[in-house]
Amino acid sequence: MIFRSLGRAALIAALSFGASAVAQADGLESKIEQLGQLDNIKVEAIRVVKRNDFLNIQAELSNGSSSNQTLFYRFKWLDGSGFQTGGEEGWKTLVIYGKQRSTIQTVAPTMQAVDFRIELQSPNNTVNPFK
Amino acid sequence: MTRIVSLSRVAAPALVLALLAGCTSTNSPLIGGNNVSYGDSKGVELVTNEFGSTDLQKLAESMARSLTQVPSIRGKRMTLSEVQNKTSEYIDTAEITKSIRVQLMKSGSVRFVADVSGMNTQTQELMRQNQSGMYDKSKTKKIGKMVGADYRLEGSISSIVKKSSSLKDVYYKLSLELIDIETGEIAWADEQEIRKTSRR
Repeated sequence: MIFRSLGRAALIAALSFGASAVAQADGLESKIEQLGQLDNIKVEAIRVVKRNDFLNIQAELSNGSSSNQTLFYRFKWLDGSGFQTGGEEGWKTLVIYGKQRSTIQTVAPTMQAVDFRIELQSPNNTVNPFK
Repeated sequence: MTRIVSLSRVAAPALVLALLAGCTSTNSPLIGGNNVSYGDSKGVELVTNEFGSTDLQKLAESMARSLTQVPSIRGKRMTLSEVQNKTSEYIDTAEITKSIRVQLMKSGSVRFVADVSGMNTQTQELMRQNQSGMYDKSKTKKIGKMVGADYRLEGSISSIVKKSSSLKDVYYKLSLELIDIETGEIAWADEQEIRKTSRR
């Protein structure tokens, strides 16, 4: 009886974990704008928190290949109406060593920014012309 | 003659192709422009490894974002002080602080008052309004109403340059401090680093 209830609890926990993981993955996809398909770099997670009225973002990236990868990235900030706010950001580069996990941290330029997109480009991006 | 023949040899198939495709391109509103083009002002510039536009943008952005995270400066008045250039190259350091000012103003978290360089024109304008005798007294801005800054932003940029037979490595460090003018306390300090390496 104890085992059965434990098993049921584990199943519920697994289901709820699965649901939240899927929701997180959906959220992740909608925030990323890739210029082509990143072959070696993967966005593992994005954390968002509001501190002192400013949106704080941390993106975790991993390099699946064993060689160093250069990543070009920048953020787009959107206000409550979906308008881009805070001006256009400059592109930045990041070198991720082979098999390294790296994090990008940033803060929104204005308090009006409530949403964001990350633009990502790597020299190793591939584009499927038939898609 | 040969040039005309060769041109027509290229142009004729191009014309046939355009007719077959059923479309033709329109002329762009462009004067000249064979060797000149507009680029992305926000792109990563790696023409040489001297201090460049991307470095300026990156430093200003990260410093401004770091400053907005200081709750005690919200709504306070700031002024720009000197950023010393301790590098071996010419860098207009005032532009770094001006970019930081623009970004902080856009963020809406702080206000800026006239700095040392802007004081001369500010004084001249007030004197002109009040002492030239050419202005309606009821519509002049009064002398003695200027507001002082709570904080001043100052700092320095330094570099370390290393060269070998095949490599040139430049390391820049921008350090900024926000100083409480009344007490002299440092309210905030941050530094940003940039490394640029080029093959010779």
